[in-house]
Amino acid sequence: MESLIRAWRTAHAEENGKLLASTISLTNIDLEEFAYSTNSARVAEDIFRTLEYENNSARPKITNKTGLEAWAEVYIAYWKVAQALERHDEVEWGQVFTGMKDLTQAVIRGFQNGLWEVWQLEVLYTACKYLRYVAIRTDEAKRTNGEDTWKSLEDAARIINRAFNVCLNDRAELAQSRKWGTYYIINILFKTYFKLNAITLSKNILKALVANTTEMPDLLDFRTSDVVTFKYYCGVIAFLDENYVKAEEHLEMAYQLCHKDAQKNKELILTYLIPTKLLTRRQLPSASLLKPYPLLESLFLPLARCIKSGDLRGYDENLARGEDWFVKKRIFLTLERGRDITLRNLFRKVYLAAGESKTRIPVDHFKAAVSWKSGVEIETEEVECYLANMIYKGYVKGYISREKGMVVLSGSNAFPGTGV
Amino acid sequence: MSSKPTAAAAAAKPEDTKDPKTIKKVLDEDDEFEDFPAEEWEEDETEVPGGGKPNLWEESWDDDDLSEDFSKQLKEELKKVDAHKTGSS
Repeated sequence: MESLIRAWRTAHAEENGKLLASTISLTNIDLEEFAYSTNSARVAEDIFRTLEYENNSARPKITNKTGLEAWAEVYIAYWKVAQALERHDEVEWGQVFTGMKDLTQAVIRGFQNGLWEVWQLEVLYTACKYLRYVAIRTDEAKRTNGEDTWKSLEDAARIINRAFNVCLNDRAELAQSRKWGTYYIINILFKTYFKLNAITLSKNILKALVANTTEMPDLLDFRTSDVVTFKYYCGVIAFLDENYVKAEEHLEMAYQLCHKDAQKNKELILTYLIPTKLLTRRQLPSASLLKPYPLLESLFLPLARCIKSGDLRGYDENLARGEDWFVKKRIFLTLERGRDITLRNLFRKVYLAAGESKTRIPVDHFKAAVSWKSGVEIETEEVECYLANMIYKGYVKGYISREKGMVVLSGSNAFPGTGV
Repeated sequence: MSSKPTAAAAAAKPEDTKDPKTIKKVLDEDDEFEDFPAEEWEEDETEVPGGGKPNLWEESWDDDDLSEDFSKQLKEELKKVDAHKTGSS
C-alpha cells in the first residue's frame, strides 16, 4: 500500500496526471501487493492513515481533511476492486464491477465538489475506461452462465454519462476548466452506446454538446487522439442516419488526422468512408488505397471492379459473398445502392459503343447489354423500367420513345459527371 | 483475467504492464475503435500530412476498358436478342 500512496504524493508534487491515474489503474504493478496489504475490517483506517502520513510529509501539504477523505474513498473502492481481482482463484466480476462503480463515483464526486483540478482529469479518464471494461467482462461472465444481460454496461453508461456532465457543465475559466475532458469522456460513451446498440443516446450527447458550444474550446484544440476518435463516431452516426454528406466530412477528417500507424483505426474509418464516397461522389477506392488492408481489399476491390465494368452479375455475387460482414458493419444497404452506379456505367458503355455522336439508341441495345451482364434474359419492359429509373435519378439525361423503341439521349452531358 | 496474473508478467513501469493482454482482449474481440498509442502527434505523423487530398480515389466509371471487345461482344449479344425476337414472333 505504501508504494501506491507514495506515488499519489509524487504525482501531486509533480502535478503528474498520468502517474496519479496509474494509482487507480487495473494494470498497476502494485495491484496484487495492494490487495494483500490490508483486509476489509481495516482497509478504511489503513488507507486514511497512509494518505495522512504522506500528506503530512509533503511540503507544502497536498490537501486538507476533506481532501484526504475524498481520496480515501477512492482508494477504499480501489482496494475492493484489487482484492476481487487478485484474491480469488476465479475472478468475481460482479464484485470487481461493484468496486469499480464505487471508485468511479468517488472520483466524480471529487470533481463535483471542486476538490480536484484539471491536471487530475486523467484519474477520471482511467476510472471511466476501466469501469467500461469491467462492465463488459461482468456481463460476459453472466452471459456465459446463460443469463442474457447487458445490465452492467447500461449501469456503467449511466455513470460515465454523469462524468460527461461533470466535464461539460464546468463553469471555471477555460484554462482551469474540466471542459477539456469532455471529448475523452464522450468517446468512451460512444463506444459504450455503440456496444449497447443505443445510437440514439449518442445523438443525445451530440445535442447536449451543441447546446454548449459557445463556451467550449475549438475541437482542434483538443488532443488529436480525442479528435480522431470523436470524428470517427460522428461519421458513423451520420452514416447510420443516411446523412452521407455529413458522414463524409467527419470521416474524411478522421482519416486525414489519424495516426499513420494506427492500422486498425484507419481500417474502421475506411469501412464507412468507402460506401459513403460511393454515394456522395460516386468515387471508388483505388487499389493502392486498399492494399494495406487485406480484409477491405478482398471485399471492396471486386465490388469496385464490377462497378467500373458494369458487371451486374459480378456485383450481385460479390455483394452476396461479403453480405455477413457488410450487414454486421451496417453498410450492406448503402452498398446495395452501388448497383445503380454499375447499371449507369453499363448504359454509358452502350452509349459510347454506339459512337459518341449518336443520341438515339435502340432500347434493344440496352436490353442486350443488361441480359449479357446480369446473365439473365430480361424483358423489354424491364429494361425500360431500369432506364426510366436511371433518368429519374439523374444518372442519365434523356427520354424513352416507346413507339420507336428508342432511347433519345441528351446531346450534351448525357451521363452527368462522367465526361460524356 | 480468469486466471491469476503472475507478478513476473509485470515490468518496471507503474502503468500498462500488468496482464495487459487480457484487458485488451475485451476490446479486440469487438472490433471497435482502439485507443491510440499516443495522445498527440505531429502533422507529419498523420495519415494525410498537410490535409491535402491524395489521389487515392477513382471515378466509378472507367474509360480505359472501353475497348473493341465491349462493342464486339455487345453486337453478339444483340444478335441473341434478335434471334430471340424472331424465334418468339
